[in-house]
Amino acid sequence: MQTDARQLKEKLTVKAVRNVRRGYEKDEASRGMYRPEVKLDLARSRLLTESYKQTEGEPMVLRRAKAIRSILSRMPIYIQDWERIVGNNVSTPNGIYFGIDMNWRSVKRVVSGEEGQSLLDDAGRAELAQLVAYWEGKSLSDIQKNAFSGDILKYWKYEGTFIWTHWSELGIPDHEKVLAVGFQGIIQEAKARLEEIDRTVPPDYVDQKEFLEAVIIALEAGVTFAGRYAALAREQAKDARAPEDEKRLLKIAEICDRVPAQPARTLEEALQSFFFAHIIRYIEYSSVGIGVRFDKVFGPFLEKDLASGAIARQEALELLKLLWVKFNELGMIYSPLLSAVYGGAATVQAITLGGVDEYGLDVTNEMTHLVLETAEFMQSLEPSICLRYHDRTPDALLSRAVDVIRTGVGYPSLFNDKAILPMLKGWDVPEKDARDYGVSGCVYMELPGKNIVRRAYGGIHLPKVLWWGLHQGVNPVNGEQYGARTRDPLAFTSAEDLMDAYLEQLAFFMERFVKIENTCRALYERYLPRPYLSAITQGCIERGQDCRKWQYPSIVHDICIVAGASNVADALTAVDQVVFKDGKISMQELLDALASNWEGCEHVRRLMLNAPKYGNDHPQADAWAQRVHHGTAEVMARFKNRFGYACRGDGSAVSGTYGAALMCPATPEGRRDGEAFADATLSPVFGADQKGPTAVLKSASKIDTLKTYNHLLNQKFSPDMLSGDMKEVFMNYIRAWGELGISHIQFNIVDRDTLIKAQENPAQYPDLIVRVAGYSAYFADLSRGLQDTIIARTEQSFQ
Amino acid sequence: MRRTGTIFNVQRFCTHDGPGIRTTVFFKGCPLRCKWCSNPESQKMAPQLMVRPSKCTGCGACAAACPEGAVVLLPNRPAQTRWEDCTHCFSCVDACLYGAREAAGREASVDELMEEILADRVFYENSGGGVTLSGGEPLLQPQFAAELLARCKEESLHTALETCGHAPREAAVQLARSLDLVLFDVKQLNPLKHRKYTGMDNNRILRNLEFFSQNTETWLRIPLVAEVNDSEDHMDALANLAIRLGVQKISLLPYHEGGASKADQIGLEYPIPGACKPPDNHIKRLTRIASDLGIEVTVGH
Ligand code: SF4
Ligand code: SF4
Repeated sequence: MQTDARQLKEKLTVKAVRNVRRGYEKDEASRGMYRPEVKLDLARSRLLTESYKQTEGEPMVLRRAKAIRSILSRMPIYIQDWERIVGNNVSTPNGIYFGIDMNWRSVKRVVSGEEGQSLLDDAGRAELAQLVAYWEGKSLSDIQKNAFSGDILKYWKYEGTFIWTHWSELGIPDHEKVLAVGFQGIIQEAKARLEEIDRTVPPDYVDQKEFLEAVIIALEAGVTFAGRYAALAREQAKDARAPEDEKRLLKIAEICDRVPAQPARTLEEALQSFFFAHIIRYIEYSSVGIGVRFDKVFGPFLEKDLASGAIARQEALELLKLLWVKFNELGMIYSPLLSAVYGGAATVQAITLGGVDEYGLDVTNEMTHLVLETAEFMQSLEPSICLRYHDRTPDALLSRAVDVIRTGVGYPSLFNDKAILPMLKGWDVPEKDARDYGVSGCVYMELPGKNIVRRAYGGIHLPKVLWWGLHQGVNPVNGEQYGARTRDPLAFTSAEDLMDAYLEQLAFFMERFVKIENTCRALYERYLPRPYLSAITQGCIERGQDCRKWQYPSIVHDICIVAGASNVADALTAVDQVVFKDGKISMQELLDALASNWEGCEHVRRLMLNAPKYGNDHPQADAWAQRVHHGTAEVMARFKNRFGYACRGDGSAVSGTYGAALMCPATPEGRRDGEAFADATLSPVFGADQKGPTAVLKSASKIDTLKTYNHLLNQKFSPDMLSGDMKEVFMNYIRAWGELGISHIQFNIVDRDTLIKAQENPAQYPDLIVRVAGYSAYFADLSRGLQDTIIARTEQSFQ
Repeated sequence: MRRTGTIFNVQRFCTHDGPGIRTTVFFKGCPLRCKWCSNPESQKMAPQLMVRPSKCTGCGACAAACPEGAVVLLPNRPAQTRWEDCTHCFSCVDACLYGAREAAGREASVDELMEEILADRVFYENSGGGVTLSGGEPLLQPQFAAELLARCKEESLHTALETCGHAPREAAVQLARSLDLVLFDVKQLNPLKHRKYTGMDNNRILRNLEFFSQNTETWLRIPLVAEVNDSEDHMDALANLAIRLGVQKISLLPYHEGGASKADQIGLEYPIPGACKPPDNHIKRLTRIASDLGIEVTVGH
């Protein structure tokens, strides 16, 4: 079956959220947070609420399982006339997911405001009001809000320094197991465990029993869900307009009868089984990401089918394209605050390609190429592709990857095994597990099947932390002692003193941040167990424990995003050089200039701007960057999560570097109040890199991944740099990046003029895709401020 | 080694000055005065003041710093320099915080340059790149250039020289020992026209071309300027010369405006304001003339 290329692209639904937070507020709000055809889907909330009402008083894990059953057995489903892979996390193709059990307040705000006007009709608004009446005081964010009192409450509220948030969860389920034994196989396992504990009666017998029963309910509900699609397909087949349509529907029916209940035998069964497993995870709980090592997992199915003649390459390609359309149907609602962080994102679904197998051998296969071909053709927001690069990544694969990068779609983004495998080893991950890492979204490294239900629990905005260090922790506006009481900056005798004050402030805020996180995590465990995800995560059934009650023994777990380290480094370099080494201005003059947001002090700002900057392979500036990153990681590691594992940072900045900076006053490197931070952990401050792309990589390579965290580096090139005889040069540039051991790089391929034109005439560039941070977005969907920051990223060019 | 020379720039990540990813060291000082020069700040040997009016805020710091009173401030306009009074002392460069005044040219030691060059070794190794000496004219500082190249060879780097060829034979011989590639600029084969447009005869140039092509892999580079050297006959003669010398590759570099604005920044009148790029279809024809003879031709780099 051939689908016309144009038609296929028309099916792509765009559910990307628009950033409506701050800056240019007026025109942003009237544009709406989502495109007008997108609607808030209430089916999950309705069925979840009904079930919750019926199960009051029962153990929470069973209530959650029954709620999943209620949704999966009754949520309206549909099959569109072109589909071959079926399913969605909501009840209509244009719907977006909403986790009423998590947080309803911001959604209610959104739909009653101008920006969310189009998301619901009046009847929908009325129903939402009824549902909300039940959840008032019961949703997790209500429970969290009421959990804090006393001093900590002050830090729970967002002030600009750090933000704790209920971001959606990631985690890579054990898809390989589902494909191998099916849900039924796992149900049998759970039943066997139940029989076993009936014999052994462990001390937590009741907890285990409830959990295992919940697992069985959730998985059986998954089988029922698939069965409903089989029935619907048969129903629709009766009215099929053409014989090939009837054939398509009957094939869907046959496949949905089999998977995910039974093991998958063919590529088509494997993709459908995976997609069900994927969307049920999204239905159970507000989720983002994919992470599956697509070529490693599905390559063998493809190769077997190609060899047996069960499928032709062209048909397999077609199937992938249709699956890609389905990935883009998954959408979710963001709060206005998070829209500033996730501006332009839909569900940040990333898949992983390349890398090595458990023996260290390259995994590239026909599927790797098929995925890149699909991506180049579709150029869609989802899924983003993460390519694992290593010494033996074949030239042919790299070349194909560069072809996709050149389209400007922003992926594949490249992950360097040379940096990441040792990093995972340093985190106590055994080599065999480390070699299997996947990237589920942005730059979140995870281990497929392992119990790493990852959340980025928030972000810490390092330039603001430094700013507190320049103000003794006192808010100059109201005199409140908000941060640590560090030394008087007028008594500083070197930049070392400022560095010490920075680290002390960081420790002060991290302590509070981690207390909040650990408290909230305990609430997640109590109120939102995940029987379905636990069922397809290794170790939960064996232990009889929900995935939230324990974790894979490593610090590969929840993360705290660090934003603005390059700004802090440049600030310290400038203070070191201008205030202390050259003595061109005094600390008092600097503080006055910062207080006035540089107004009337332009000469001071210029002096600070002219100091050496990170990103130019400059020894002093890079040394400060190294110290800031290493010192930050070291301070964070002093704080432990609920299971005793060290807290760590993460380079995935999403578009947060723009949103995060809005509440940060002027900082010594020359940044003005509210101006964006550098766009990623390894990226130089906007426009600070003057020595070209090799110098940027050299600077970045000085930040030791092993001593810090996983990083993100953005580089923007114009398309001609990857074309013709330049392509070879570009590939060699990537090889050098690999050799330098920098953990990540991704490319924005678009020339500056195009971006400026697109900002002026968004209507003429609706399809222009740019790399925001860990994901790509339609340029037109970004706020003006975020657009500005993307334009401002230094465009590297070949001389 | 303490030897120093005068350079005006070190540019990393160059991809059009020889194979792979390269670092190009631009020498200051050139024996020719080509009317279309794209780097007029490289012509004089001595470091000189360069101004960028677009960055000027009119703050006046330069005027206050200038010992010669060579800077004139007018309301709402960039600071003006009276070039005839300027002694190139660079007091104003230090005073200007906005990057509107710069010193074009500086003394650099071989050691210092080696440090900068070696910083990108990983890129040379992954791309088959290396170091290119360009200018200005590196052959005008033969001891310095030779020492720099010898050091590069000690480090096993690929080396290239971009030259206009106007230099004593000894200088060419001295450098050739440490060179893997020569990018030889030919402006005009006709000696009279050559003198008219560059100020010098081309006799010596053509003999040095002969020498380099016998000793080192040599590519030709032609800055194409309409009416100056873009006739089909000239191209034909050039291609035949290339064949005779065994040169495999010719780069056509169509004229661009870059030089004109720079001339303004150093207080020069641009010699041929009317200079222009030959039309694209004409460049295509010229390309064909050489490629039909089996020579590899690139345009623009
Ligand atoms: S110091 Fe610089 S910015 Fe100020 S007037 Fe002179 S050239 Fe212009
Ligand atoms: S370089 Fe020229 S203009 Fe500048 S201070 Fe010296 S004499 Fe004056």
